[in-house]
Amino acid sequence: MTGVYLFDLASQQARYLAVRQATIASNVANANTPDYKARDVVPFSEVMARTTAMGMSMTESSHVTSGEGRIPTKPITASQAWDALSTSSSVSLEQEMLKAGEVSRQHNLNMGITKVFDRMLKAAVRGS
Amino acid sequence: MIDPLSASTRLASAGLEAQSLRLRIAAENVANAQSVGDGPGADPYARKTVTFRAAMDRAAGGTSVALQKIGTDDAPFRIERDPGNPAADAEGNVKMPNVNVLMEMADIREANRSFEANVQVIKQARAMVASVIDLLRT
Repeated sequence: MTGVYLFDLASQQARYLAVRQATIASNVANANTPDYKARDVVPFSEVMARTTAMGMSMTESSHVTSGEGRIPTKPITASQAWDALSTSSSVSLEQEMLKAGEVSRQHNLNMGITKVFDRMLKAAVRGS
Repeated sequence: MIDPLSASTRLASAGLEAQSLRLRIAAENVANAQSVGDGPGADPYARKTVTFRAAMDRAAGGTSVALQKIGTDDAPFRIERDPGNPAADAEGNVKMPNVNVLMEMADIREANRSFEANVQVIKQARAMVASVIDLLRT
């Protein structure tokens, strides 16, 4: 019995997107901080591989997990950044806005799917 | 550690605060662009500068922004010849502030742009929270 896997997956992605949004917020807030290095979270596929293959699975709800810290972030390399002024931080506001838009779109999709799945379950339970 | 979406709002509001401080300093500089010293040969208003640093916000679990220092620009003062000015020295020269209004305007534009980016982040985080709450309302 595999159980309802989709909700787990959806909530994991929602959490990932929330962490990514926080990272973007951090970058934008430090847009004018000298020597600040812009960061981004690792791709979702990598997070999934980590949590399903290597990560410790939680068998008891009282066990301690490291929470949001399990989604790692890494600095953006010079080749990925759009512009990096030597006088300022390596944050490109345009790039951050684009990423924020992407996060927003993915989050909308995620919420839409969750809602539809929820409706499907309810319809199955009601039987009509 | 708080929820990442609340953390984004918190980090972005730290950014808003930083940019409004920057705007305030630019406004002070522009307002004092013609402020001479009190007395013959005295130093006039010196241009203020503001720098920021990345600060760890433990509660938000991210990198916030904080004020590093409000310093003064040590560029030389402009010398203008105006013997009638109360701040003129024996030769009739007056020290004028080292404020370049054009540069301050450019700084204000940049502060405005960064401020808007932070506002945009807050708006998006709020829309995400709203869509999660909307799940309950089906």
